[in-house]
Amino acid sequence: MMKNVAFLSATVAMLVLSGCSSKEPAIDATTNGSSVGTNTNTNNANVNSSATDNNAIIAPVTTANANANANDVSNGSNANGSDAQLVSILFNYDKFDIREDMQESMTKDALLVKGKTVKLEGNCDEFGSDEYNYALGLKRANAVKESLVNSGMTPDSITMVSLGEGNPVCTEKTQECWAKNRRVDFKLP
Amino acid sequence: MRIILVWIMIIGTLWGTDATLEVSKGVESLPKLAIEDGSLQTSEVSQKFFKILVADMNVISMFNVDDSYAINTYENLLPSNLHKDAQYLLHYRLTNDGTGGLKADIKLSQNGTDLFTKTYMLKQTEMLVFLSHTAAYDLNAKLGGAPMDWMKRKVLLTRLTSQKHADIIAADYTLSYQKVILSGGMYGFAKWANQEQTDLYYTSLTDFKPTIYKMSLVNGKREKLISSDGMAVCSDVSEDGKRLLMTLAPEGQPDVYMYDTITQSKIRLTDYSGIDVAGQFLGDDTIAFVSNRMGYPNIFSKKMNSNAITQLVYGGKNNSSFSTYKDFLVYKARENPATYGGNAFNLNLISLHSNSVKRLTASGDNDFPRFSGDGEAILFIKQEGSQSSVGVIRLGVNKSFIFPLKVGKIQSIDW
Repeated sequence: MMKNVAFLSATVAMLVLSGCSSKEPAIDATTNGSSVGTNTNTNNANVNSSATDNNAIIAPVTTANANANANDVSNGSNANGSDAQLVSILFNYDKFDIREDMQESMTKDALLVKGKTVKLEGNCDEFGSDEYNYALGLKRANAVKESLVNSGMTPDSITMVSLGEGNPVCTEKTQECWAKNRRVDFKLP
Repeated sequence: MRIILVWIMIIGTLWGTDATLEVSKGVESLPKLAIEDGSLQTSEVSQKFFKILVADMNVISMFNVDDSYAINTYENLLPSNLHKDAQYLLHYRLTNDGTGGLKADIKLSQNGTDLFTKTYMLKQTEMLVFLSHTAAYDLNAKLGGAPMDWMKRKVLLTRLTSQKHADIIAADYTLSYQKVILSGGMYGFAKWANQEQTDLYYTSLTDFKPTIYKMSLVNGKREKLISSDGMAVCSDVSEDGKRLLMTLAPEGQPDVYMYDTITQSKIRLTDYSGIDVAGQFLGDDTIAFVSNRMGYPNIFSKKMNSNAITQLVYGGKNNSSFSTYKDFLVYKARENPATYGGNAFNLNLISLHSNSVKRLTASGDNDFPRFSGDGEAILFIKQEGSQSSVGVIRLGVNKSFIFPLKVGKIQSIDW
């Protein structure tokens, strides 16, 4: 809620700037409240003309370097974002059908959550754009939900959210790592 | 510091006829402009202002801008010896106002004759970049340049900061000035709610269900619009701000909806069993959207009162990001590796009148294309190797500019 909001009052109204020839102002730029990360890299106003034609990122292309954001995220081994003994369900690139090799995990998970309330969090790798990626995460969560319902759970006991690429369990730039991020996590209240 | 520019593409006259692609080599034929610091006390700030002004004057594209810094008394109408061959002199004088702000006198002269003089007041020195943008905008208008209203507009972007945490940020068009508006949770899909850029819509994933809020930047007031299991995104806002296109998934199925802000009612516009997202208005009665109905993300359109679907884009794969302006559409497409030497996402401009397609970028991973409100420019993010940049394509003058960017992982952008 609001306590989480670092709001800058008049943040942008402030950016309004006007002026008259040889006259006054002005830019009204009042701010207040706590703000984070003001970054005035005005040196960046310079322009970069260099352009190399490789290293473009797309669908899974392994690169050695990782400019990873290592926020207590796993390096990839046994990465699992689910609660308790539950095992996250993994998916193929740009797919949302449950793989054959995930069926056993799916069956075990279904037994563990039976009779409980569960939240399914759909996740994606870093490829793909904004809304599409979120929708892909949601479709993955929905596939797991349908499987749980088929095994006897009531739909009302399952909620879903897509986190897109915003909740990686692994941040290395490798095929293995990206594969771990294409997953659905089980969260228990 | 040279502003330059990826002269990758040139788009011929966009309006009236379809764009054509050429390659431009340089600015030698333009008159030379010198920019000189006339501040009584030159400082880090006045030198920083010089760099920003050089960048903005390059973007204006009327001059061959000399990027060498020189000090010269403000009253002098002729350039210093360093710039004696410059036909035009842009002179500025910054003065601290004693309260954290600045007074800026700016003057343009041609061969000793005043063409433009103006004084600006800036209340916060940290917003120096907007002072430069506004001065450049005024100079461009005075000299009869192509419309550049977009230069003064603000950009909203969402930046992923850590697991389940993303901030919403307001920035200038170069993203060199950035101010966090919302932080402390998982926020996304920030979208301006009105032309004045005083209100915005965004998604909160911190709530129990994904929820779209409207927030005022004037008083901080937040108003809950709608929640949806799984996904809730405001994808586009009509010009008058009364209709919104949203992606909602009340049954776990992402589809495009239209939401009426007056009646607070919604209607479902798509019903494909796969993925339909990212609706954008295409004129009054049509929308464009991204769908995977052909097995991969691509761009389609439909009339609001019809079920017929039209495929808009026939080239590229993974065409999952786009922006519309009237009958034009700019989209991101994955190139054929055999043709372009590896994986690359380039931007393409398509005229929906003729379906002719022009490639706008040449290399790298180019994403988040956004038309300016007047359709004169396209903002985008470029990733090339480890270098991130923000790019501006000026359609009217056939030029493209790239500014280095350090912002982290961007999730969405709106202009």
